[in-house]
Amino acid sequence: MFTNIFPLPSQNRGMGLIFIRTVIVFITLFIVMRLMGKRQIGEMQPYELVITLIIAELACIPMEDTSIPLLYGVISILTVYLLHQIVCIIDLNVRGAKVVLSGSPSIVLNKNGIDDTQLKKNNLDVSDLIESLRLEGYFSLDSVEYALYESEGTFSALPKKNYEELQTSLPVIIVDEGKFIKNNVTLTKRSQTYYHDVLKGQGCDELKKVLVMTVDGEGKVYLQEKGKKYKTFRLEDWAEKLW
Amino acid sequence: MIRTIISIVITLALIVGVSIYDIYYVQTTFQVFHEELRTLKQKTELGDATYSDGLAVRSYWDTKKQIMHIWVPHTVLAEIDYQLDEAIGFLYVQDYVAAIPKIEVILGLSENVPNSYTLHPGNIF
Repeated sequence: MFTNIFPLPSQNRGMGLIFIRTVIVFITLFIVMRLMGKRQIGEMQPYELVITLIIAELACIPMEDTSIPLLYGVISILTVYLLHQIVCIIDLNVRGAKVVLSGSPSIVLNKNGIDDTQLKKNNLDVSDLIESLRLEGYFSLDSVEYALYESEGTFSALPKKNYEELQTSLPVIIVDEGKFIKNNVTLTKRSQTYYHDVLKGQGCDELKKVLVMTVDGEGKVYLQEKGKKYKTFRLEDWAEKLW
Repeated sequence: MIRTIISIVITLALIVGVSIYDIYYVQTTFQVFHEELRTLKQKTELGDATYSDGLAVRSYWDTKKQIMHIWVPHTVLAEIDYQLDEAIGFLYVQDYVAAIPKIEVILGLSENVPNSYTLHPGNIF
């Protein structure tokens, strides 16, 4: 009724105010991130990722919404920084805490071949492993001695001494965890029955027991049954290099 | 390690210090404001309140409000401003019946706002 006589304080705050608030939040964030000693984004531990996700939101809301006191954002960011420092101290000084906080590396490929238990623990499958290997420059599963996923999610592999000789042609997956990959079967100009016979010849009578089977353009097969050591062999009737 | 511990202590001290001062400042300011409003309400009920009485309350509020913006969401302060201006307006035209509910609203706000700053489970969750 009397708002014309006593005007309300303006809720539409100017651009200058947004500018100053943004500068303050930016400087606070910058100082906090520098103090945290943040590593590259792709190499974050789980708790560091959580902190980064939270901080992004904490910084944006008070910056954009001028009805919220800026101090709310600053205190929240400082609290996250405090938690980060506490977690860092626990991580470095308490035995066993590192495994709980950051996880441990998983060896997913060893001298016996793929460790599907470790893959499943990390919610990965064989094709994910093959993709990771390709990104590291290893195209054949038997060209690598060991492969592991680090706790922060990066992939490491130790190649065999003669690994370049072992990967002369790109292998394709024929059987992935007990199922034929139809497109790849067609690519090799063979039928599923043909591969069934190949498997039988290797003493594997059930398709579902096969963890992975790959064939490269020269007919070299990598076969691993679940819970068994892998084997490699050449298909005898593979006359020419197909790709 | 020592640097990390020092940073933890400093940050913790900063957060705790600001939090305690925040609660203390908001509580005491609203306590005084609440008392002033109660006096104004009593005078209004008796029909003795004047426009100047209303302006005196607003003058106190205006000085405290500047710092209060650091601690309290601005929308809450704007709501108090609005209700207070309405009440003073009614006092200006000596409409005491209309002014009382407005003062009641501000009394309620001045009671509830500081309560929302206490470390009570209801406020945390």
